[in-house]
Amino acid sequence: MRAIQGEVLQDNENMQNQLAFTGNWFIDAGILGFVNLMEEVYGWDLNELQNRINKEPEKVYYGYFPFAYLYKLLGRTQEVNPELIKKLDKELKDKIFKDSQELFDFVWFSFICALFKDSWIKNKFKLIYHDDAYNNKKKLKKQFNYKNTQIYLQKIGEREKLITTIQNEHQDEIKEILKSKKGLTKFEYEDLEKLINYDGDVSKELKRSIELLKEKNFDIMNFLENEWENNVVKQQKLTKKESLFYRIPIDNSFYKNFLFFNLKKGNLEQKDSFYNMIRFNLNEEEILKRMDKTVNKFLLSEKEFSNINYTKLSTEPLKKQFEYLFVYLVCFIYAFENYRNMGNVLFYSNDLGFSYRINNRMKLYKKKLEDKRNSNLIFRITWQQIINSLVEYKSSWSLENMYIISYQTLDNETQENIEYIGIPKLQASIILDDKIRESLNNIIQFRSKNFENRFCWLLEEFIKGKSLYPLILNHVNLVINNETNLSYYSAIYSLITEANILYFRSENEKPNSSIFSENYFNNYKGLVQDIKEDVRRTSYCASLIKIISNDEDKKSRIARELISALKAKDKNLFLNILLKNLNESKELASNDSFNRWLMEKIIKNNVCFEIYGLILVMNLIGGRKNE
Amino acid sequence: MSENYWERVIGNTKLNIYLKDLKDAALDGFKDESDNYKQKLVYNLLETVRNNDQKKFFYILIKAINKPKGNFKELWEELKKCYDVMPEEAFVNFAYSIILGIMATYGGEKNE
Repeated sequence: MRAIQGEVLQDNENMQNQLAFTGNWFIDAGILGFVNLMEEVYGWDLNELQNRINKEPEKVYYGYFPFAYLYKLLGRTQEVNPELIKKLDKELKDKIFKDSQELFDFVWFSFICALFKDSWIKNKFKLIYHDDAYNNKKKLKKQFNYKNTQIYLQKIGEREKLITTIQNEHQDEIKEILKSKKGLTKFEYEDLEKLINYDGDVSKELKRSIELLKEKNFDIMNFLENEWENNVVKQQKLTKKESLFYRIPIDNSFYKNFLFFNLKKGNLEQKDSFYNMIRFNLNEEEILKRMDKTVNKFLLSEKEFSNINYTKLSTEPLKKQFEYLFVYLVCFIYAFENYRNMGNVLFYSNDLGFSYRINNRMKLYKKKLEDKRNSNLIFRITWQQIINSLVEYKSSWSLENMYIISYQTLDNETQENIEYIGIPKLQASIILDDKIRESLNNIIQFRSKNFENRFCWLLEEFIKGKSLYPLILNHVNLVINNETNLSYYSAIYSLITEANILYFRSENEKPNSSIFSENYFNNYKGLVQDIKEDVRRTSYCASLIKIISNDEDKKSRIARELISALKAKDKNLFLNILLKNLNESKELASNDSFNRWLMEKIIKNNVCFEIYGLILVMNLIGGRKNE
Repeated sequence: MSENYWERVIGNTKLNIYLKDLKDAALDGFKDESDNYKQKLVYNLLETVRNNDQKKFFYILIKAINKPKGNFKELWEELKKCYDVMPEEAFVNFAYSIILGIMATYGGEKNE
C-alpha cells in the first residue's frame, strides 16, 4: 500500500514538473524559448529536457539554465569555448549539493565567471589612461575599487607612458598607421588594437616600441587573468566592496530592468539577483512582483493599462502555479527565430510539443528560406512547413488553435511591425484533405488596387481566413481581358470551399439552430465531403453552359456582361442576362441537370449566389481547357 | 440551403414561399405549350423582373395561365398561397423560379 502511495506521490510530483503550455501565449512563448535555449546550448530535445527535469529539476533550473542563458547572451558578441559545457555537464552529474543556493553559487563562480573571463579582461583592459579611473574630484571610481587597484593602475599608467612616448616620437608614422587625418588628440582602445596588429612596414625604432607595448599589454592581461581566476573563479572570496570591479559585463535591451543587467550592480548582486529571478523570490526583487512591460515588451506598462482593475498585475498568485515563471519569461525572445526579410517569427499553438516541432521544422528550412530573395516566397515556404507538419501530425493537433506571431524590432522604445495571425480550426481541418490542399496550393495572378499585376498564394489567404472570392473575381477579369490564363481547378476549389464554409456558417447562425442541434456538435466533419461532392457536381453542371452558343465571341460577350453584374452584386441583373441568353438556347435551358443546378445554386441561394455565378463565367471563357 | 425562401407573418398566419414548389408547378403547367409561345412569354416576363415591375409581371403571368382547360391548377394554387407585393429581393427569386420552370419545358416531354 505504501509503495503505491509513493508511486502516486511521485507521479504527482512529475506532473508538476511537466513542461506544458498554459494557454497564456507569452508565458508559453517563454516556455518554448526555454526549451529552445536548452536545446541550442546542450543539444537536448524536448524529451531529453523533460526527462532531466523529471529526474533533477533543481539541477536543470539552477545549474544548467543560468549557464545556458548567459552563454547564449555572451555568444552573441564573441566566440565561447564549448569545452566548458562538457565540463559543466560532468561536474553537475557527479556532484551532490545541499540546496539550490549552493548549486547555483557553484555554477556561478566556477562556470559562469569562467565563461566571462575574456570578456571581463577585455573590459578592464580597455582603460587606457590612468586618470580615467578617477572622477572629477580625484576620487577613485567605484568600479575600480578593489584590493589590488594600485598594482592594476600602475600597470595601466606604465602602458600609458609608453603610448605617449611612441606618439610623440613617431607622430607621422602613427598618423599613417591609424589613418587619422588630423593629429591624434586622444588615443583610444581601438587605436591601440590597430597599432599592435599593424603588419605593414615601420621604422626600426617604432617596431621596437610596438614590441615593448605588446609585452606591456601581455603583462596586464596576465595580471588581470590571474586576478579573475584566483579571486573569483577559484577562491570565490570577493568582498562586497570589490564586487563592482568584478561585475560580469552583460547587457540586454529586452530586460533592462533586471538587476543583473544593471551597470551599477557588482558581481555578487548580479549573482543574487539572478538567483532570485530563478527562484521567483518576489520579496527580494521589485521587478518580480508585477507582470507588465518591464518583463515583456508585448505587455503594457503599468500606467498604460487603461482598466484600473488590471493595474499592478501581481505575479504572486502565479507563484503557486509556476515555480519558475521568470525563467520562462526571460527566455521569451528565444521562442522567436529571426528570418531575414521577415523579422522574428514564432509559430504558436496551445500544445508545447506541436509548437516545438513546427518551429524546429521551420528552422530547418531557414537556410532555404533566406536564400530566396522574394519575400512572398519566404512566406510561402514557411506556411508550407506548417502545413506539412499539420498533415503529418493529424491526430495530435486537430483541436488546437494556431497563430503566427512576428515582429521586426522589440525593445524599450520601439515595437515595430508586430503581427498576430491566427489559423482558424475550420480552415486547418479543411486543408488536411489532400485534394483540396493541393488545389489551393497555387499562385494566381490578380490586379492590385494600384493597377499592378500581382501574384497571390491562395492557401495563404485561405489560412488567414480571408475571402478568396474577390481574388478569383479579379483573376477571372484578367483572363477575360486575355492578360493571363485561367487557373481553373484552383479557382473552382477555392470558390466552392468558400461557398460551403459560408453555408455552414449561415446554418449555424440561424436562430433555430440551438447549441443542442445535431449540426452544432457534428461541427465540420462533413464539410470536406460536402465540398468535394459540390466540386464534382458543379464542375459538371456549370460546364454545360458552354453549349449556350457555338460562337466564342458571343460567349465572351455574355461573360463580360455577367461579370459586371457580379461586380455590382446585382442578382436580378445577373439572372436576367443569364436567362435572356439561355432563352435562346432551348437545349440548355431544358437540360435537367443544368436547370436544377441553376435553381439550387443561384436562384435559391441567399448566401453566396455570386460564387456559383463566377463559376459559370469561368466556364463561359474556356473552363478546364486552359488548365 | 433552406427550401423556404421568404417568410412573413401577417396577422396570425405565416406566409411562406417554397421556390421549388413554384418551379415545379410552372413546369407542370407549361409543358404542353409550344416553344415559340413560351420563349416569347419568358422574354416578356424577364423584362418585367428586370424592372421590378411586379404588377406587370403578374398581369402577364396570370393572363398566360388563365386557361381553365390547361394544367395550371397547381400553379394557381401556389400563386393563391403566396401572391403578395414583395420586397425586390424576394420577388427576384420568386419570379426567376417560375421562369426557370417554364424554360425547363422547352423541347416538349423529352426533358422530364
